[in-house]
This record gives sequence, structure tokens and C-alpha cells, in this order.
Amino acid sequence: MIKLASGRHEVALHLLRDDAGPTLLCLHALRGRASDFAELAPAWPGRVLALDFAGHGSSDHPRGGSYTPELLASDADVALAHASGEVRVVGVGVGAYVALLLAGARPAAVRAAYLLPGAGLEGGGATRSQLDAEAWRREADALVDAAAHREDAGCDPMVRLLDGDARPPDYARSFADAATKLLLGEDGSLRPIWWEAAREAASALRAPADPRAGLTLLRAGVD
Amino acid sequence: MDATYPGAVPPERHRALSSLGLRLHVAEWGDPAAPPVVLLHGFYDHVHAFDLLAPLLAERFRVVAFDARGHGESEWPDAYAWQTDVLDAAHVLRDLGRPAHVVGHSRGGGLASDTAAFQPDLVRHLVVLDGFGPPPLSHANFLQQRRLGKGTAEQLTDWLDWRRSAARRRNFQPAPTLEELARRRQVQNPRLSLEWLRYFAAHGSRPVKGGFAWSFDPLASRPIGPFRPEWIAPGWRRLRAPMLAVIGSEPDTWGPLPEEILAERLSHVPVLTRATVAGAGHFMHIEKPHETARLILDFLEGA
Repeated sequence: MIKLASGRHEVALHLLRDDAGPTLLCLHALRGRASDFAELAPAWPGRVLALDFAGHGSSDHPRGGSYTPELLASDADVALAHASGEVRVVGVGVGAYVALLLAGARPAAVRAAYLLPGAGLEGGGATRSQLDAEAWRREADALVDAAAHREDAGCDPMVRLLDGDARPPDYARSFADAATKLLLGEDGSLRPIWWEAAREAASALRAPADPRAGLTLLRAGVD
Repeated sequence: MDATYPGAVPPERHRALSSLGLRLHVAEWGDPAAPPVVLLHGFYDHVHAFDLLAPLLAERFRVVAFDARGHGESEWPDAYAWQTDVLDAAHVLRDLGRPAHVVGHSRGGGLASDTAAFQPDLVRHLVVLDGFGPPPLSHANFLQQRRLGKGTAEQLTDWLDWRRSAARRRNFQPAPTLEELARRRQVQNPRLSLEWLRYFAAHGSRPVKGGFAWSFDPLASRPIGPFRPEWIAPGWRRLRAPMLAVIGSEPDTWGPLPEEILAERLSHVPVLTRATVAGAGHFMHIEKPHETARLILDFLEGA
């Protein structure tokens, strides 16, 4: 594991597998960590790097609690720079959204991104004002409660912000349009609004939600 | 810190309050036992922006201002998100132990409105001084124009490049002298007198290598994300506090919004009073502190 500077905080990047072959960067779900990918790593024929996002795992908790998907994307971006060369990315939940942002913002470096359903960005909808009064109050109370605590099962409790962050579909779509290739792990379940938008892009392919099958496609099927 | 300005009274008391692990600088004027009014300053400003208005309100109220995170004498976080600024404001209000009136200028007005919608029990009456959000992108000002030519994904590319290179820097383009710092600010806010800006710079800058810089975190200057100006007003329907919406009569760098846009946004506010300060621009509390204080005191009289 190495620590990389991401602005003023540091994030932990773990080497899960070191083999000749293409590089895979793994981005975990909300309240997850790099080791969530430990079982999957042997299935990849190459180097496997897994990041602990800010506020998670062995990474710093940024001072002040301001978690956004864009901040996590900047964490993933320093991992991308460290990996150097062409990288494939797999992301789960909020990590899938970050993989989408990274694939759109760094299309030359991200050869393909494989998005899997999981925790994060499930409560925000397309805009904040869509929340009804009761949902708004619950959200406010939960955030105030989170702000009063400093630990939550190894995570910074303020990562809760990543659950209710509003994510309009056309914002996601612009990243999907800029991406080189997206694989969307579909299991037939209802997906967030931003996911539906990404699915419409020309770069998007439907892929299995079973990660091993998806990784095979990510390795072979995108070329 | 010996700079003076006619009518300006620096805060009488200072204290620190911890919010989300950050030390916030809280400043107060007036009788600590009086009903509280909380003041929220604008982007790039600090508590001394209220050194003219606060003493006038302090005749009847305990006036509490705080430096937003990354501004003035408050600590700099590692990252920024609008929601944590709202949580800071809610924390300052809750810490008072009783509901307060809230007055916000510019960005502080947006924070005041969102805080009042977020935690309605904490806010009695709400006063917003030309803080009704940025114009829609179709009416973008010169700072937003730069972004319009780029796609959303390219904007994130730029931001990531900037994070890789600049996020660890502490100062951007220091001014060789305080006088130069004040002059540069006048280019951005041409209605503010150099005399005021000298006072404001003396109370809100720090010596750095190569001269002086504002007490402001450069990292706060580049927000990123999917935020849209059209999201602002619908959230105001949750306000329970009556709002006094104040603009200046004179066109200025940051406002006011075109009337048809402002009127549409304000149509979402359940209980609204509007007022205009004649002969003032965006910084009416600095250009016309007595007139602005009179509007606020009259509005709060019935509270």
C-alpha cells in the first residue's frame, strides 16, 4: 500500500495483484474499501490497483467533511496518474459514478470503465428540491447527527453526503458521451437516474452484473 | 490593525467554535443577553464586511457574525461542498441556544436561505441582501462565461488538472502592498471606495511571501459539480421564516439579477417582503449602512 497526495489529504492505493498485463483500477462503494476487491483480483490477468477513497479504509478523512463525487474523482485521478499508461476501471455504487466521471474527464487514460450497482448516490435524485418535506427533514436530521460524530464503522460519518447528493441525468450523460467505452453491469434491477442516462450513450455497452464475467468482457471485449 | 473608517466598529468580542472539526472564528457586537441576529458574509469576504452594519443593529440585538470556512480567520478545510457550509451556519445558530434572525449578503444570503430551509426551527426572520443565486447560464456574467464554451466533462478535466497542480499551493498572486491589494479588489467591485477597501484589506489579509494576500483559501475559489442556478428557488418553498429581500438600485458587478428572473425566483418564497436601497449597488450594507440597517430593523420590529 502506498499513500498518494490528493490535494491536502492523502489516499491509500493498494496493489492487490502484480502481474504482466493491463492495469485494472478498482473503486469501491460507499462505506466500502479497497479490500472489497481482494477476491476478484486473481481473476484479472494483469496489475490490480484498488483505492481507498477519502474518508474510507486507510485513507485520510479530509478536514471539514466536504465529500462530493468530484472530490472522490480527484482521488481516483491521482491513482490514475500514479498507474500511468492506459487503465481499465471497475467501480461499484458511488465508485461506479466516480468511474463514469473519470472515464469522461480522462478519456485518453481510461480505456474502459465497468460500472456495477452498489451503495452511494441512491437518495439524491436529479435535484435537491425533488425531495418531499418528510424526506428532506430526515436527511437534514441525519446529516446533523453525522456532523456530531467522528467515526462510523471505520468511515468518516460525513461520507453520508455522498448518499443524498443530487445528480441530474444530463450531467452524467455528458461524461458518458465523452468516455471511450462504458460497460454497465445490468442485473435487471431499477438503477439510479444517472445510470439510466449513461446507458443511452454511444459508448455504453450492457454487461453482466456478475463481476467475473464482466471483467472478462472488460479485458477482451472492448478492443 | 490600526486602520479606521468612518462609522466602522470592529467586533467587540471574538471566540472560536468547532464545526465538523474546523475552528470557526465567531465575532460579536452588542448586549450578549439581547435577542440574537446572525450575519453571513459573502464569497471572498470576512466578518469585517459587517463593521458598518453590525454596530447599528447592535443597538437592539446581540449581533453574531462568523467567518465562513476558508475565509477570514476561520480554518481552511481540505475540500469544499455547499452542504458543509450550510451545516456550519446551522451549527453556529444551534450553538446560540435560541432561534435567531439571520441576515446574509450575496453568497451568505444563499447560505442563509438554505440554512433556514434546512433547519427551519433555528431561524426567526430572514434578510437576504442581494443573495439570490447566480444568474441562469443564459445570462451568465463574465466569470461564468469562461465555462460556457466547455463541455461538462472538459470542465472536470480542467478541475482535475488544477487539483493535481495547484491544490497544495497556499497563495495565489500576492499583492506587494496592502494598497495594491485594495486596488485589485476595486477592479472587481468598482463601486466600493478605495478608502473602505484599505480598511477591509487591513482587517482581512495576511502577510505572505511576496507581499499580502486576502485571508481566503484559494481552494475555495473553484467549486465544481452539477449545481444549476435553476435549482435554487424551488427549495425556498420550504422556508418558514418570513424573508426580506433587499437589492440595491444601482447595477453592479454581482447584481442585481434581471428583474424578471429575480421575481420568478422570489415567487417561491412563502412570506416575502421586498425592498430596494436607493443609490447603492451589490454592497448596500457598506455603501448605505444606515438605510440598510433601517430596513432590517423595521422588518424585525414586528418579529
